[in-house]
Amino acid sequence: MVDGTPIKIPLSQLGRGQRAVVECAALDALPADHKCLLAAMGLGESCQLRVCRPGSPCIIQVDATRLGLPRSLAEQILVTPLDDVA
Amino acid sequence: MRRPPRIALLGNPNTGKSTLYNRLCGLRTRTANFPGSTTEHQVGACALNAETDAEIIDLPGVYSLMLEIPESRLCRDCLEGRIADRRPDVALLVLDATNLIRNLQFAASALHREMPTVIAINMADVARRRGLSLDERAASRELGVPVIAISARTGEGIDRLREALALAAATEGPRHQPLRPLPRSEVGSREAVRWAADVFAEIASHGRGDADDTATLHDRLDEAFTHPIMGLFVFAATMAAMFGAIYWLAQYPMDAVDSLFAWIGTGVEAVMGPGALRELLVSGVIGGLAATLVFLPQIALLFFLLALLEDSGYLARAAFAVDRVMRRVGLPGQAFMPLLSAHACALPAIMSTRLIPNPRDRLATILVCPFMSCSARVPVYALLTSLLFVNAPLLAGLAFAGCYLLGALAAFVTAKMLRTTALRGPSTPMVLELPEYRLPSVRTALAVAWERALLFLRNAGTVILSIAIVMWWLSAYPKSEADPASDALRERAAVIASSAPDEAASLESEAARLDERKQQAGSFAGQLGSALEPIFAPMGLDRQLTVAVLTSFLAREVFTTTVFVLVGAGAEANGEDTSTLETVRTARRDDGTPLFTVPASAALLVFYVLAMQCLPTVVLVARETGSWRWALAQLSFMSILAYIAAFATYRMLA
Repeated sequence: MVDGTPIKIPLSQLGRGQRAVVECAALDALPADHKCLLAAMGLGESCQLRVCRPGSPCIIQVDATRLGLPRSLAEQILVTPLDDVA
Repeated sequence: MRRPPRIALLGNPNTGKSTLYNRLCGLRTRTANFPGSTTEHQVGACALNAETDAEIIDLPGVYSLMLEIPESRLCRDCLEGRIADRRPDVALLVLDATNLIRNLQFAASALHREMPTVIAINMADVARRRGLSLDERAASRELGVPVIAISARTGEGIDRLREALALAAATEGPRHQPLRPLPRSEVGSREAVRWAADVFAEIASHGRGDADDTATLHDRLDEAFTHPIMGLFVFAATMAAMFGAIYWLAQYPMDAVDSLFAWIGTGVEAVMGPGALRELLVSGVIGGLAATLVFLPQIALLFFLLALLEDSGYLARAAFAVDRVMRRVGLPGQAFMPLLSAHACALPAIMSTRLIPNPRDRLATILVCPFMSCSARVPVYALLTSLLFVNAPLLAGLAFAGCYLLGALAAFVTAKMLRTTALRGPSTPMVLELPEYRLPSVRTALAVAWERALLFLRNAGTVILSIAIVMWWLSAYPKSEADPASDALRERAAVIASSAPDEAASLESEAARLDERKQQAGSFAGQLGSALEPIFAPMGLDRQLTVAVLTSFLAREVFTTTVFVLVGAGAEANGEDTSTLETVRTARRDDGTPLFTVPASAALLVFYVLAMQCLPTVVLVARETGSWRWALAQLSFMSILAYIAAFATYRMLA
């Protein structure tokens, strides 16, 4: 956190085991159909996630759902880290 | 008479929906097309109680009913009665007990449709093991519809589910009275998530059924299976084991199918007098069916093993492992399984492209699938490589492997070409849910194999049988007079029958060969061969080989049978019989030159690697793409490419 403002970084920059919250409007840069699909799969705004495997594919766990994303997509999703690399 | 109630089975992917469908319907299932559409779905019959049989429609697993993707559209259309002849009477929602927050949101969006609904919370046993117990009454109260906790895998709760379905089917109109208002916004919205969390808190006794956050074993397996190098290695090993098992295990039932049809053919010949009807039955119907159904064990095994792999959770990881490689040629990772399956048979491979969500990716995969060397090409490769490399099994083996590589190379180059021209456009990034690893269900895999086998049998009984009969007729008519030379041989055989029976039998056999050859030349197919010989002459083929290529247009494997018949080796011969191969190798053309020269054999080999030569595939491509345009374009492209490549090969070696 810098000056009270949460740090927003692309999901692709998180390390293994790191947790984060998906930013509001973080998915807005994505095409509408991708955004709707990701939200329906569980990756919506304000949801918490854990990185199981960084890189490509980027594997994340949201609630009880484990999702695999290509790096290109992970680079477009902004998140706020919750803790350091586990 | 009252129609059986129709139940639509709905749910997220990986909720065990198919397992529940198979549990409810058993083998009473079939694949059907919705009237007026090319979209397939499963329809099964399920006894709800002693009096009521219901029809269950297994709809594709979707994350939301509102997405603009074909699967979601299909579910909407079915629920609203836009396809099929009527709306379903009951919606059966399948939710995953171990992932309820997301699944409850889907249930809310389905409940908005205000139709009689029953909710099955599946995998209740798994949730229980994780310390989560569900209160069915509280869930029914919260959601306003019957909720039954079940385990489709063990059968827990299935009887109560049948009772609830029977009751819902007998009820007129919706009776939804959810305790709290359903969220108005879509699945994944904050409102929907909050609503689901509130409902979850009321119906679950403790915990949220979350997967273990540490999940280290899960993470390690994912790391290995999706790793750029290790992932590919594991995938290659898995596929090698799977295809090895298919070839090894299928040979026994394939032999049995072969023997069964030979026995039926002999039986028919024994009870029927000679004539056109017997010939039609033995050579057209029984022979045609045998040539097709011999591949049934491979197809059933392929789908059985694929279903086991998919159920285990591995396949989703494998798609990521190969995605990097496939992207370079413009195809998604999901295309790899159909392309690999096409090595057994292009028909199920093309059907399995439905897993590919992006329409351009899917079309490109369908169009290149037939380049992969299917099992029907194997007899042709075996014959031609052994003719090319006499007494050099190592070189023949390398040439055999080279055929597979050439096919795969042609597929990848064509895919790249298609994705940069006619099918240009962005690919959808591959986002996949990675289901939990679990012991696969043999019961579900058997049901999948059964259903795919039935579908193949239906095709074999209609399209393929019709083709076999037409081909038999073209090669059997018009009837030719017996060859004068064969009459002379038979007369001589009759004279020496008692003194030298072996020689007499050999003469009889030679006489039959001459007659068969004359019949082949004089038949409609033979006449076509003579007329079209000038077209195939540039790649080194004479009239006989032209006939062999033409008869194999509808099914490649017919080439070897035709060649054996034409040169007199007998249709029952196989590529491993040295004497048979010797007969083929020394066969002559009408002008006395060898039939199989090295340049002609090599040209034929290249031709068979690249040519389409499979009418059932053309028909299936037209059905799957919804248009004959793509099917005919594919047929033309592959035929022209095969011809040019074969011509170039012949010219280089001649």
